[in-house]
Amino acid sequence: MLAYTLKRLIAGVITVWFIATATFIAMHQVPGDPLMNDKAVSAEIRANLEAKYGLDKPVTEQYFIFLGNMLTGDFGISFTQQNRKVNDIIRDHFPVSATLGLLAIFFAATGGVLWGALTAVYRNRLPDIIIMFLVILGISVPSFVFAALGQLFLVNLNSLAGQSIIPVAGWGTFSHMLMPSMVLGLGTMALLTRLMRSSMLEIVNEDYIKTARAKGLSPTRIFFRHQLRNAILPVITVLGPQIAAITTGGFVVELVFAIPGLGRYFVQAVQQLDYTVIMGTTVFYGAFLVLMVIIVDILYGFIDPRVRLS
Amino acid sequence: MDTILSVKDLEVEFSTYGGTVKAVRGVSFDVTRGETLAIVGESGCGKSVTVQSLMGLIPMPPGRITNGTATLNGKSILNLPAAEANKFRGVEIGMIFQDPMSSLNPTMTIGDQIAETLKVHRGKSDREAFSMAVELLERTHIPEASKRAKQYPFEFSGGMLQRAMIAQSLACNPAILIADEPTTALDVTIQAQILELMLELQRTENMSIILITHDLAVVARMADRVAVMYAGQVIESGTVDDIFYRSSHPYTLGLKEAMPSNTHDRDKSLTPILGSPPDLFKPPTGCGYCARCPYAMSVCAEHLPPATRISESHEAKCWLHHATAPRIKELHQLDDQDAG
Repeated sequence: MLAYTLKRLIAGVITVWFIATATFIAMHQVPGDPLMNDKAVSAEIRANLEAKYGLDKPVTEQYFIFLGNMLTGDFGISFTQQNRKVNDIIRDHFPVSATLGLLAIFFAATGGVLWGALTAVYRNRLPDIIIMFLVILGISVPSFVFAALGQLFLVNLNSLAGQSIIPVAGWGTFSHMLMPSMVLGLGTMALLTRLMRSSMLEIVNEDYIKTARAKGLSPTRIFFRHQLRNAILPVITVLGPQIAAITTGGFVVELVFAIPGLGRYFVQAVQQLDYTVIMGTTVFYGAFLVLMVIIVDILYGFIDPRVRLS
Repeated sequence: MDTILSVKDLEVEFSTYGGTVKAVRGVSFDVTRGETLAIVGESGCGKSVTVQSLMGLIPMPPGRITNGTATLNGKSILNLPAAEANKFRGVEIGMIFQDPMSSLNPTMTIGDQIAETLKVHRGKSDREAFSMAVELLERTHIPEASKRAKQYPFEFSGGMLQRAMIAQSLACNPAILIADEPTTALDVTIQAQILELMLELQRTENMSIILITHDLAVVARMADRVAVMYAGQVIESGTVDDIFYRSSHPYTLGLKEAMPSNTHDRDKSLTPILGSPPDLFKPPTGCGYCARCPYAMSVCAEHLPPATRISESHEAKCWLHHATAPRIKELHQLDDQDAG
């Protein structure tokens, strides 16, 4: 298990290096640079600025400077925001996105497993049909629509109660987090529900379920001890990438609910060609994704003994 | 005779998109204490469906038991709700399956799976049940049982898994062990070991075995009595000697002809049974074997042959045993012996 974990970690470091390199190359292929912004600057100022930020050096040298700084954990200073280090941006705003994302994943995973198992039990009967209809909605309707609907619901709820029970937007307390994390997790929940349902239906026909019935176990015991644990494996597999997708993709929801997450800076930086912020956040998100996948893989090993030893 | 299980006129059908399949069409047999009943027949003749419907293992829907009774020690066991069925499943009847590789839960240790039966039916504590599981594994000759009990199915070989399955099915000392093609997925030397183990345990536990197989060599080695199934019906039943030496149904004869033997002339080619079994979406009105039978008569296609009692233990469903039917040398050995 230790060797397995170590192997995964080394592979993870290499992956992050690839991400960093690819980001660097891609960014330097994009026409323009951070100094070409709305205000035109004279050639001398431009040369001075380029020298200050190291943009006058050859690309390969810039690459190694970038890698070196990255290894010491320094992503540099933002080009567009006054006196702000990329590290500060990440430190201030990532915890917000991560909290929101993890809560969303929690909703998505528990909901997905629960609804998926339920639909499999009631296959082709009313609960299945209703839930699967909602699942299609959840997958096809974009999150900003749900975000707006969620806000509308909160507004109505609060006006009905005559006081603010759950805040409509903003950040700070747990009640602030409820609606946005549910909205953010909805798509993933729908996806996981489908996955869980098909996985459950597949497992029902497995020989060992027949064995369990021949052993005289109660349907409840078979469901929890034999079916659920095996059916959950494919769900856990996709959970890693889904965590990353949710934490990084939360930017629309963050915008609608006025949540000070990292997503906003990420998108802004791309629009303004803020090299350091793009690089910093991309590498950071990349590393985060890799870490999540590793954690899920290790978790997988605990549930499926076959993975542990191979 | 001490009859434990008695099945009468069992009929099972499945509703599918293509229509209704009449998989089992009136099967009757008895199992007495300590004997081995072999149910033989080719794929799709209803062997597995018969025993699975007794155990309540066929999915309903689409499956449906439309007729018949089955009594275990005098109590009816057909169409019971799960809670009722679980009073005998795993307790009075144990069952093992064809493919041991997929018949055990991949995410539970072997010991825990065996212990589970004891915890559920015998109310044993975790530790007690686990140590009993280790004992059961020892009884099925699994070396280093206490270590192996903590391992997962993927760490076992096929033969070892089938031993573990047997250990699991024996946990509550059942009166009957149903073995649904227990050796089909195993290679020949392992087959012999598993069969040997079953015979040994049968002697020590005084347990009955219902053995489902399509391998006549296995039947000859294991069975006391044999029921030959064809197209959802038992077409001949009797002691193992009745079936092998006094075969009274052309299908049984055909099976024997198709079986390799080391006493026959080695250059003689085996004779297969030509054709394929009838479509059970539209079961034949007459004898199911009629289309493939070398001795078929016009009556065979129109009327179901009645069961003819050939001797005290021996029955066959074939029109050739009718008083007015022509004598076929191979089928009427017994009659001829009596006459001569």
